[in-house]
Amino acid sequence: MQQGRNVERRTILKAAGASLAVAGLGATATACGGGSGSGNGTVTIRYAWWGGEPRTIAIRKTIALFEKKFPKIKVKPEFTDYEAFWEKFQTQASGGNPPDVFQNAVGFLRKYDKRGVLLDLKTQADAGNLSLENFRNGVLANGQVDGKQIAVPVGANTMALVIDLKAFEKAGVEARFGWTWDEYFDALQTIQDKLKIAGDTGYFSIMYLYDLYLRQNGKAFFTDTDLGFTQDELTQWWEDGYKRVRSGLVADPKKVEQVKPKSALSAGLAASEFTWDNFSIRYEGEGESDYGLAPIPTTDGKNTGQYLGSLMLSGFSGTKHPEEVAQFIDFMVHDPGVGEIMGYDRGLLATTEQYEAFKPTDPNNKGVAAYEEEVAAAGVLGRITPHPSGADVIEAAFLRIGGEVAQGKTKPADAAKALFSEAKAAFAG
Amino acid sequence: MTLVKEAPARPAGQRPAAPAAGRRGRRRENLAGYLFMSPWIAGFLLLTAGPMIASLYYAFTSYNLFTPPQWIGLDNFTTMFQDPRWQKSVEVTLTYVVVATPLKLLLALGVALLLAQKRRGQGLYRAAFYMPSLIGASVSVGFVWRALFSDDAVVDRTQKIFGLDVGGWIGNPDYVIYSLVALSIWQFGAPMVIFLAGLKQVPQELYEAAEVDGAGPLRRFWNITLPMISPVLFFNVLLESIHAFQVFGSAYVVSDTRCGPADATLVYTCYLYQKGFKEAQMGFASAMAWTLVIAVALVTAVLFWSQKKWVHYEEAAK
Repeated sequence: MQQGRNVERRTILKAAGASLAVAGLGATATACGGGSGSGNGTVTIRYAWWGGEPRTIAIRKTIALFEKKFPKIKVKPEFTDYEAFWEKFQTQASGGNPPDVFQNAVGFLRKYDKRGVLLDLKTQADAGNLSLENFRNGVLANGQVDGKQIAVPVGANTMALVIDLKAFEKAGVEARFGWTWDEYFDALQTIQDKLKIAGDTGYFSIMYLYDLYLRQNGKAFFTDTDLGFTQDELTQWWEDGYKRVRSGLVADPKKVEQVKPKSALSAGLAASEFTWDNFSIRYEGEGESDYGLAPIPTTDGKNTGQYLGSLMLSGFSGTKHPEEVAQFIDFMVHDPGVGEIMGYDRGLLATTEQYEAFKPTDPNNKGVAAYEEEVAAAGVLGRITPHPSGADVIEAAFLRIGGEVAQGKTKPADAAKALFSEAKAAFAG
Repeated sequence: MTLVKEAPARPAGQRPAAPAAGRRGRRRENLAGYLFMSPWIAGFLLLTAGPMIASLYYAFTSYNLFTPPQWIGLDNFTTMFQDPRWQKSVEVTLTYVVVATPLKLLLALGVALLLAQKRRGQGLYRAAFYMPSLIGASVSVGFVWRALFSDDAVVDRTQKIFGLDVGGWIGNPDYVIYSLVALSIWQFGAPMVIFLAGLKQVPQELYEAAEVDGAGPLRRFWNITLPMISPVLFFNVLLESIHAFQVFGSAYVVSDTRCGPADATLVYTCYLYQKGFKEAQMGFASAMAWTLVIAVALVTAVLFWSQKKWVHYEEAAK
């Protein structure tokens, strides 16, 4: 009896101990999540980005470079693909635990500024922790909202037309600066007739391309708070698009869907595709042809509607180490060594220090540089202002609903109506 | 009462102590039990019960994760019932449940009937048929499925032999849901094992008696096997339909995370996920979740009610 009781008590104590240990582990995990400093004066900041493997490899190298120069700051990397990144970020930010520094884009600035998540880097610049000088082509403005600098550009990119060079050559058509939409679609027709492949992979579902088209006509996809076009205009855009799917000028959406995550251009389904110029490197890796950047078709024979967009770096407003965050961003956008490592992965390098430090040697990077120089020289570059809150949801809806139009599942008029209704909900959210 | 009266008769300090000690011991044992369970209880309260109650509240609010939830009454539900994408997701899910569940159970029962006969290597067969159930839910199988049902792949070539020229199913909004149905049917192993266990329970003498009376194999199946395994069948129908209502992973992977094309694989949970985690409409997503809970509960209730008519329990027979 006596012994039995002891055993029981011991068991209970063990059980209690185990529960406490579990609770304790939980507490430790929470404490570590904050990314705070340790005893010897070093601090740890979390840095998150999205992108493919080459970007991750390059960024890890730049982090190592930073840690060498700033031994008292440790950087903890977090990375994933674009969609997963923003899902995770949203959850982290709502819980007050987003990364200290993270990659950002024009579609998310107002959304997270409105939610109070973004650190005003202007104040840090005034305090001397970060330089906002030497940005090329005025791209610094891409990260400004209501007089605050809530993001700092690391690169400058623009929408482009990527073409299958061999297909264009075989069909005997040429892309030239200032060509009109009619000339573009005529060229696609020639390609379709001669090579029996589609001309384009589905241009009318790309929000950023419709934006360019609207800009050619003196409008834009977004105003500061709303959509910048009418339901009728969008109906027309999608009706034209669907007509071209049916005639085979645009690739069969069923086939485009199947080759994902590969692009329909590199899968050989079509001869051209609109995308961001810094993405053009993917085609060489995925496809078997040669690919090049071509001018965006125009409405008036001159204006392409293009502007320099940016991937940017932002800080978390609630970070425990705003000074270190500012120093880190400063290093990442100005240090020539970082520029050499990153190249044009996130667009042409945004600051003169980095732009001059990197001399492209491979044909792809050279092509991107030449392309942006050509666009800049043509004097057609417009300005981009940060999209209203909800733009990310609308971009996804535009792609999805455009896909329904392409598949013939939704009539263009109904599709435009659906987009406007979803946009209304997204702006309100 | 008698106990109290008898107690003084016993030698002092012996037996009467026992019940008290026993009670104390039991209480201590209970305490130990609860302590052992405490990690689970804590997990249940924190990770299941708590969030469920919270989501019930959110279902009546507008909540974007950043600003505090605002009470909007039944607005989420009225918006939801009018939302064309919600209606589409219900349609897709019902198609999936109604097509996939019966086919899967039919196949499971058929194979179980074959495997119930004694033959050489039956263990091997059982294992082989059960295997897909183990790996079927994995992401890699989703990718394999994408490959199988694309243009010019196995399925496309096979159907061409039969003169069906519809191309791959993955990119076709009219067919892609059936590739998910096929994936579900392929995982018939779990209900099959349960059917097998049920079949083994049917007393052999019933068959022998029926045979003596001149009943053929079909008749024996219809009048003996089916009634005898009806509780197992009921269990499988219940489990598989509840499961089917909650399908997510296969739709998400096979459609390259977008539950498309053209919302053709937008199963209920996928829309819920998009609303909650992509668009941060947590109130709406919670309302969707509770609607699904209620819908599944109703289906379960109907099934339980219907079992009076067709499920045969042995107690009743005796």
